[in-house]
Order: sequence, then C-alpha cells, then structure tokens
Amino acid sequence: MSILTILTGGNISQSVLDGFASGVVSVQEISIIAIVIGAIFVNNVVLSQFLGICPFLGVSSKVNTSLGMGMAVTFVMALASIVTWCLQTYILVPFGIEYMQTIVFILVIAALVQMVEIVLKKVSPALYQALGIFLPLITTNCAVLGVAILMVQKNMDLLTGVVYSTATALGFALALVLFAGIRERLEIEDVPSAFRGVPIALITAGLLAMAFMGFANVVPLP
Amino acid sequence: MGKLQLITRGILKENPTFALVLGMCPTLGVTSTAINGMGMGVATMAVLILSNMAISLIKNVIPDKVRIPAFIVVIASFVTIIEMLMKAYIPALYASLGVFIPLIVVNCIILGRAEAFASKNGVFDSALDGVGIGLGFTFSLTAIGAAREILGSGAIFGVTFASDVMPLLFILAPGGFLVLGYLMVVFNKIAKR
Amino acid sequence: MKSSLKNMVLVLFTITAVSALLVGLVNNITKDVIAQTEVQAKNEAKFKVLNTTANEAVVLVDEVTKISDFEIVVSTVAAKEDNNRILGYAVEAPSITKSGYGGRIKLMVGFAEVEGVVTLCGVEVLSQNETPGLGANMTKEGNALEKSMLGKNPDELSFKVKKDDANGSFDSLTGSTISSRAYANAVETAYAGYLKAKGLLDANAEGVSGATNTEWNEDNNVTEEEK
Repeated sequence: MSILTILTGGNISQSVLDGFASGVVSVQEISIIAIVIGAIFVNNVVLSQFLGICPFLGVSSKVNTSLGMGMAVTFVMALASIVTWCLQTYILVPFGIEYMQTIVFILVIAALVQMVEIVLKKVSPALYQALGIFLPLITTNCAVLGVAILMVQKNMDLLTGVVYSTATALGFALALVLFAGIRERLEIEDVPSAFRGVPIALITAGLLAMAFMGFANVVPLP
Repeated sequence: MGKLQLITRGILKENPTFALVLGMCPTLGVTSTAINGMGMGVATMAVLILSNMAISLIKNVIPDKVRIPAFIVVIASFVTIIEMLMKAYIPALYASLGVFIPLIVVNCIILGRAEAFASKNGVFDSALDGVGIGLGFTFSLTAIGAAREILGSGAIFGVTFASDVMPLLFILAPGGFLVLGYLMVVFNKIAKR
Repeated sequence: MKSSLKNMVLVLFTITAVSALLVGLVNNITKDVIAQTEVQAKNEAKFKVLNTTANEAVVLVDEVTKISDFEIVVSTVAAKEDNNRILGYAVEAPSITKSGYGGRIKLMVGFAEVEGVVTLCGVEVLSQNETPGLGANMTKEGNALEKSMLGKNPDELSFKVKKDDANGSFDSLTGSTISSRAYANAVETAYAGYLKAKGLLDANAEGVSGATNTEWNEDNNVTEEEK
C-alpha cells in the first residue's frame, strides 16, 4: 500500500477489492502524521470526497450544534472502525462471507448510533434536543460506512485504520464548524430570496472546497 | 391523493434533490458526467421501489424502536442482491454503474422514503412513490451531470464538443457544490412561479 | 407497533436472518456466473489487445510470474491457422509502485514481436476505480494515455507522465495525473512481466526496480524516493 492511496482516498466501492487480493502491503512505514494531515486537510471527507454531505448541510447553522455533531460522528466513526475491522478480519474473511460486508457494517453502525443516542439523552439532554433528527441520520451518514469500507479496501492494520478514521472524522468536524461559522454570518446578510437557505449554503461550500484545494501540496504527494 | 399525483409530485413538488435536499452525497459524488448521473438515478430507483414495497409489507410487525435498523437491513440486502445479479447477468451495465451501487445503501432518500412514506402506506402506493421519487432523482442527477460535463469537460453524454478549453474545476469537488447550488436557485425560481 | 425487548430482538433477528439467507442464496446462484463472466472478459481482452478474436486465435499457455509479490500473467496467443504462428503476448498486470485515485489499476497489455522489435499493440483496462469523468476516461478508446503508448517500442518508452518528467512518454488524462501515473506504472509492470517471462530479465530480479535496463533503474530510484 502506498501512501498515495491513503492520502488520495477513493470512493467506497467494494469492487476495487476484487482482483487485488494479493495487494496486502503493510502501511506501517508511513508516518502517522502524513495520514492525519492527509485525512483532515488534503482529502477532507466532506469537501473533496463528498461523503457526509447531508449532516454537513443539515446541522451546520449553529457553531455549537455543529461542534456537538462533529464530536458524535468522531466517536461513532472511531468505534465503528474498530468493530468493523475486527468483524472483517476475524469473521467475514475466515468464513468467506465477504459479500455480507455491507449488511454487517451498516448494522454495526446502526447499533452504535442507537447507543450514542441513549448515552447522549442521559448525559446531555440539551445537545440531544439540538441534534434532533440528525442523530439517527448518522446511520446513513455515508462517511461512517465509507470510511469503514475504505479501511478494508486499503488493507490497513487496526492502528492505522483507527488513526485514519479518527482523522477523517476530525476533518468532518472541522469542515462542519468552519461552515457553521460562515453560515451564522450569512444569516444576517441580505441574500436574494431564491438563494436563501440551501443554495447559498452549497455555493459557500463550493468556495470552501476551493480553499481546501490549496492544501493539496501540504503533504508531498508522490 | 391520485395515483398519478404520487408519481408526478416526486419530479417537481417533492423533488428529492432540489426540494427535499436528500441524498446529497451520491448526487455530488457521481455527477461528473450526465451518463453517470442517469445511471445512478436508475439504480437508486430500482432499490427504492423494491425497498418501499418490502417495508410497506412488513411495517406492521416492526417495533418502533428498532425501525431504523430494520429498514437499513432490508435496504442493504436489496442493494447487495441487485449488485450481485447485475454483476452476473448484465456485466456491461455493471461495468459502468458498479462503483455506485454500494453507495445506494447510505443514500438518505431511501431511508427517508421508508420512514416518511412506505411505513405508513400500502404496497402499491409505496411502489408508486418509489417510481415518482426515483424519477425525480434521476432527472436531477442527469441535469447536474449534464451541467458539470458541459462546463467542466466540454462534452455532453460523452460527445465532446470543446475539449481542453473548459475549466476543469466543475468536474472537481468545488464545481459540484457550485453547480448544485446554482441549479437549485434556478429550480426555486421555476417552482415559485 | 409497541416495542418490548422481546419483540425488538425477535423481529430484528428474524429480519436479519431472512435477509442473510436471501443474500446467501443469491450469492450461491450468481457466484459461478460472476466468476465465469470475469474469466470470459479476461479472455476476450487477451485477444483484443493483440487485435484478433477468439475465432481466429488461441491461448497456447498462461505463464504466471511474480514481480514484487504481484502476480503477472503472461499469455502466449497464437493464430489458429499457420501452424499456431505466435501472434504475441497478452500480459495482465497491476500498477505496483503507483496507485490510482481509487486503488490499483489492472491492465491487459499486448506485446507483438516483429523481426525482433517489440511493439505495444493493444491495451485494455481490466479494473479501475477512478473518478468518473476524470481518471475513468482511461477506459475510453483513443484516450491520451493509450495514444502515447500504442504502436511504440516499450524499450524506447519512459514510463512517466510528461507532467512529472520532461522525458516521460505518457500524456496524462486531463486533470488526472494520479490516475495517469498509475496507468503508466501498470504498463511498466506489464513490460517487466513480459521480459521476465521471456527470460530477458534476470530471474532473481525483484520487482520492476530490478530491471536490467539502466534507464529503468534511474526511474525507479526516483519512484522509491518519492514514496
């Protein structure tokens, strides 16, 4: 596995696995810092990989809420990556039922989300209220499933995978908070009526994505 | 509500992309060309119709608290089954659409319709809802794909008319956001009339 | 329906079990068909890269060789007429030192030999996962990458994209330098596999970087550093 693959991400298709079964190469020689910077800035999960857009647009009107959402996603993603990695390595592969991957992974994620929901309801009712319907939607936050599948595709070991998924989630949180900051300002601006709401948000996201393109050379890509 | 209305409202009034703002990830991820947008739309429609019907059938036996996980298992199974069938019997189509299929699982439109419609309505109506929303989704994705393809690579449906002079930005991530944003403005203008 | 622990567990378990059963069933039915279609597609590619068809030619032998632990399959393709006159070699190879945007790229590359001169006479993309509209354009007929290698002698090629190296032979696809690098690398791997299978490359040579050609060595040192 070259550092390139980690840095550049990819999409969450499983088909890349097929035919490359022989490509098991260790990723340990790659510096953890490169993975972290790559996942947060260079290939930001939202702004360059188009994963997790729904919560990105939905919960980004207030900085506080978006911070909460970012943390919830980080927690779920880190946990999910550990559990799915173990399931893949110790159950799906030994029994030769890799084709069940999607179903198993999404079930695990759904269960984890339910758990986070219950804990949050007890610990922080205010945050629970604020996140509202978007909490169950972490289940369909494609970033979570996407990262779990990417980890498998890229043959990461557990440690690298956890670092990668946490960094990806932090990238998600960063994009979300930055975006919420911009949107809070937009609230008080006089936006033409047809642009109000989602359209101006999308255009803002486009500009933010352009800014993030500037990170492309921060980590030397091969 | 009339049966025809069930289908037509998905295209304009409840257009999943422009009005409901659901399923943004595949919308942005695959629409770098018009053909890909259309393919993703059709594949999503197939899963949506099947999952809507299945969920409408089993809605009465599912306890409320495990609704979401139950729906998701149903959706994921359909996606996996459709992927395998396509791979086996229509490999040509799979070659062009294959990479998008697993993405359908996490398309919030499917879960959204399961929640909002199929879990409250009959099998036939749910299937019609799937057709309507699916058509609306296909239409939007094709439109976005066409716009990005024209602006970004100077081609339409794979036919190049101005290669290498168009700004590549529109194929890259920022262009996806920008095109979707401006198309939504146009849609708002039309819908308000 | 009201939720109680009992019915929640029961219903969820039943749904999962039924789903798993269905998926397993469909997998059993389709698994062989899928494997068959894949083999068939690969076979067709073998003939296609040598500009012939299954009606006119046969695969004499599939030789498996290894480069950096990656399997390279070198198939000898011969015409049915003319007493099995050898038409050329179809080499199935992945990109090794470079990955595309969505993982490794796998190509089938055709090598024909006319009076001792090797020519790249065809190429087919077997699997790729690149961005649609950008890197995925490598599957289109007559794309920039294909054009930069077809009909050329691989000995005279430098397997780099022009953007990275002034001496590189490969024009990259618009906006897809990463995919293009991987493509060029897969062609390089295929050529190394071909040389190895023909015994022209030292049998102990490890990987593309162990090529006998000095020019190659230079290239790959650079590759390693970049990594």
